[in-house]
Amino acid sequence: MRLPVAAGAATGAVALALYPLFQTGTWFWTSLGAILVVTAVGVLASRYTLPVWPAPVAQLAAFSVYLTAVFTGDAAWGRVVPTKESVVELAKLTAAGFADIQRFAVPVPERPGIVLLTCSGVGLIAILVDFFASRLRRSALAGLPLLSLFVVPASFISDPLSWPTVVVAALGFLGLLAADGRERIAHWGRAVLVRRTPSFVAPRPAAETGTLRLSGKRVGFAAIVLAVLLPSMLPTLEPSPLFGFGVGNGTGRGGNSIGIPNPMVNLRGALSLPANSTILAYTSSDSGSRYLRLYSLDVFDGDQWTMSPPKGRPEDRTSEGPLPPAPGQGASVPAAPVTTKVAVSEEVRKMSFLPLPYPAAQVRIEGDWRADADTLMVFSTTDTAEGSSYEVLSNEPRPTAAVLTTAGPASQAIADRYLRLPDDLPPEIITLASQVTEPDATDYEQAIQLQEFFTSKGGFSYSLATQGHGGPALTDFLIRSRAGYCEQFAASMAVLARILGIPARVSVGYTGGTNIAGRWTVRTHDLHAWPELYFEGTGWLRFEPTPSGATGQGTATVPIYTQPAVDTGGSDEPTTRPSSGPTGGDLPSGSANSPRNPMLERDFGGVPIAVEEGTPLAVKIGLGVAAALLVALVPAMLRWGVRLSRRRVYSRRPAQSETAAVEERGREAARGSTRVTAVRSNRGQATVAAAWAELDDALCDYGMTRQPSESPRALARRLSEQYEFDADATASMTRIAEAVERMLFARTLGETGSLREDVRRVRRALAGAVSRGRRIRAALLPPSTLLRIRTMGTRLLDGFDRLENIRFGRPARRNA
Amino acid sequence: MAVTQDVPPQLDDLVATAHRIREAIESVIEGKSDVVRLTLTVLLAEGHLLIEDVPGVGKTMLAKALARSIDCPVRRVQFTPDLLPSDITGVSAYNQQTREFEFKPGPVFANIVVGDEINRASPKTQSALLECMEEHQVTVDGTTYRLDAPFMVIATQNPIEMEGTYPLPEAQRDRFTARIAMGYPEPAAELEMLDVHGATSPIDKLEPVATTAEVRALIEAVRAVYVSQAIKKYAIDLVTATRHSPELRLGASPRSTLQLVRAARAHAALSGRDYVIPDDLQALCVPVLAHRLLPSVEAQGQRRLPEQVIADLVRRVPVPEAQAR
Repeated sequence: MRLPVAAGAATGAVALALYPLFQTGTWFWTSLGAILVVTAVGVLASRYTLPVWPAPVAQLAAFSVYLTAVFTGDAAWGRVVPTKESVVELAKLTAAGFADIQRFAVPVPERPGIVLLTCSGVGLIAILVDFFASRLRRSALAGLPLLSLFVVPASFISDPLSWPTVVVAALGFLGLLAADGRERIAHWGRAVLVRRTPSFVAPRPAAETGTLRLSGKRVGFAAIVLAVLLPSMLPTLEPSPLFGFGVGNGTGRGGNSIGIPNPMVNLRGALSLPANSTILAYTSSDSGSRYLRLYSLDVFDGDQWTMSPPKGRPEDRTSEGPLPPAPGQGASVPAAPVTTKVAVSEEVRKMSFLPLPYPAAQVRIEGDWRADADTLMVFSTTDTAEGSSYEVLSNEPRPTAAVLTTAGPASQAIADRYLRLPDDLPPEIITLASQVTEPDATDYEQAIQLQEFFTSKGGFSYSLATQGHGGPALTDFLIRSRAGYCEQFAASMAVLARILGIPARVSVGYTGGTNIAGRWTVRTHDLHAWPELYFEGTGWLRFEPTPSGATGQGTATVPIYTQPAVDTGGSDEPTTRPSSGPTGGDLPSGSANSPRNPMLERDFGGVPIAVEEGTPLAVKIGLGVAAALLVALVPAMLRWGVRLSRRRVYSRRPAQSETAAVEERGREAARGSTRVTAVRSNRGQATVAAAWAELDDALCDYGMTRQPSESPRALARRLSEQYEFDADATASMTRIAEAVERMLFARTLGETGSLREDVRRVRRALAGAVSRGRRIRAALLPPSTLLRIRTMGTRLLDGFDRLENIRFGRPARRNA
Repeated sequence: MAVTQDVPPQLDDLVATAHRIREAIESVIEGKSDVVRLTLTVLLAEGHLLIEDVPGVGKTMLAKALARSIDCPVRRVQFTPDLLPSDITGVSAYNQQTREFEFKPGPVFANIVVGDEINRASPKTQSALLECMEEHQVTVDGTTYRLDAPFMVIATQNPIEMEGTYPLPEAQRDRFTARIAMGYPEPAAELEMLDVHGATSPIDKLEPVATTAEVRALIEAVRAVYVSQAIKKYAIDLVTATRHSPELRLGASPRSTLQLVRAARAHAALSGRDYVIPDDLQALCVPVLAHRLLPSVEAQGQRRLPEQVIADLVRRVPVPEAQAR
């Protein structure tokens, strides 16, 4: 009876994680209804102990009735019983739902189809969970369907899942496990006879499950706390591939990794949004417009373009000075420095990648932003860009056609990374690549021909209605429909370029936007994707295969170096080449490592900024070990502090005389109180108490046990005999024990001098009695402090238990 | 036990006097200083002592030695099966000259009463001692007579398995502050005994070393010994533990708590301390509590004696404030 309810609750808790996927909350109530229906049937099945298999069948039946009633009640018989029409209707809705899912980016509006799909998913999961947990009694297995439900939001939304979501979902699953455990223990632990004869036999307590339950709860609680807290404590300064810095990875709040959205999914969503809100505005030093790049996608897996995890090394922080040099950009190709000032709108949702003109040489922005050295993407794991303003200095190459035509072969590293194509590429696409270009042409000429193929010769048209972006979609776009939007254009051109042997990647970002009163304003609809092709010596150059203007991507522009009249001044990108001397093929091949442009450094104050060498691995490991050691030494330091403060107390001579103490006691007696503890304020008492506590901790540290029934005197006697104290140490030990006795049990403390020497002597005698390893351990990992920490932890847990008992408190036994 | 430097003056006297009495007794009973000390403790705690052991180990000798070392009236009653209650308390006899009933005080009208082989008397006679022991008074024919202080009953008994014995009822056992066993002497002590006792009995040469007034003063001093709240709590913990122990059918009574603390005071005073420490209680737990307890059937089956049970409990009950953590 308990299990089906727990299973339903767990499904509900995990389903809460879907919340960020939707714009409103009606889906939740519909799904909740589905869970309730499934749970109710499950409860009935348990109540009447149905066999294993009919239960899920009954649940499915009830669930389909529920779906019919909620979604196609009009077509059903009596609004409830499914008819042929209602089933057809449901199927139509489902199809519409799938279409909607393709069409909308998260958070999706609540179309009936989408709600139906969500509700069906949740309901089926609920049936599965109930089947595993209540029928098969494998609650742990029920975690699998729950997990599959849980990863849905994680794979679709860009933001990391919030930690309360994780906690609630984990609690739901734990609740299921706990219910299962209780059911099990209760089965073998209950005394059946007692139940039947409650009036004759005093009810024996039922099987003692309290402690078991308690420890189970504690383990679960600790696991959740660790899962939430640990990632935020780990010193992962860079998003590390270890933690799955892939698409849609999400961890708790405060973590150092960020989720990378699927840029392509976002793209279509943003372009089709009805509202066209402002993303950012910028001005540039030459008043020209710039494409602002967010992401650089370098991996093509046959279906879509994705990004390999960027590496944000500490030395590549924007605050550390100029960014790493742009790959492939050599000194021989003229370049123009451009300063762009960008102000990002407040309304943008978490933007953890900066929109930047390529190639950015320096970014001035508040916060911990880091550049990926290979792609010059700038991102942050801790800050977001909304509402911020920043200044970018970019060093735009201004190559001539001659330079590009004569560009040498790309370096091996570039070729390896940017020419990789899946093996199962459709052959017609490979054929197409050779059809639209001249085989003898240079890379540059072929690139131009590709762009022309897309913009004019190929007969392509711009349409946002295109669905999907997978491999079949690529073929469909290139061979058959030839209608799509920037995504298809950019992706296809990059694929074709790679087929032709030109290193290519897809950039996602914004077009230059529209000029309003001297400022360039970039809106949601300006979100764009374009290919970048690599030419040795010049670096990465953007191309523009997407049609622009009213029938295309509105503000897209074709770069001047791809236009036929290469060497005449461009319209919106002024050319300020001091000299366009063709430098030919004698470019240094390793130009990616060329020294920084001296002009850059002049612009930023003329001081050559030393580039910090990356911290060597050994140093990193050393730092990590040092940090771990530091943490490990915390108990030792605590112990040391406690010992010092105690020593201060027991080293001083008591100021208060005995007569004063007697008077105090007299006053107390007059008040009718004879409590010894009331006189604790006495300084002498504090002295003795400190010495005793110190001795007690020392015993614990050295692993010497102390019976709770051992009086101070007995302890002193035993220690002196057992560890063969010399006369001095024995006398000291006796002195301390007697002082403690007087403090605890006598009328007055009497004269107590400083106990410092006594404590020191006894400590030394104790230390002499144990092995060296013990002594080291006592100094580094003092058990007394560990014990205290553990006690604190236990108290904390006790507190939680008490809280829970308050909430769920109810009479434990009816027969009592 | 070397804390003598700051002892109040009356405790000095006490320690000295007690030392004299101890020496006197030990000149008769060799090698039994623990027993002698406990005897003194009971005397100073205004209690009564039950000495239990097989015949011939010096029970009566101990009682007589204590009685002799104090200059006070001492009466000795040999309990036999035909002893009557009036033989103990006294009788009212008709005086023909005065034509009135006159009370002839029995042997309880003394400061120290030695009841020899108390468990050989009938229960009726045994119970005649009850009132005297607890209330220090005797009521005969409706008239109540006060007994002098100090009043101490030292009873000896043979183990109850021996022939011709009536076991003391629980109520009467509860009135004895402590029960001790003499035990056989060490070989060395026995040898010395042969040497000394061979010719004459040393008890004949025993001279009183303390007066009744002195003993009364000692008892007053013991009453002034300080018992802290923590110690009281500890005593209650110990006694409560006997009531909850599954090995005991009958736990210790509240009267035993009272007597335990009283005895602990005397124990502390004999050590020259004017305050009680847990060690005093621990040392006295077995003699003060063991004879009042009834072991459960299970404990009997395992041949566990109440003494062992109590020793275990003492090891388990935590000493006050001992756990600093």
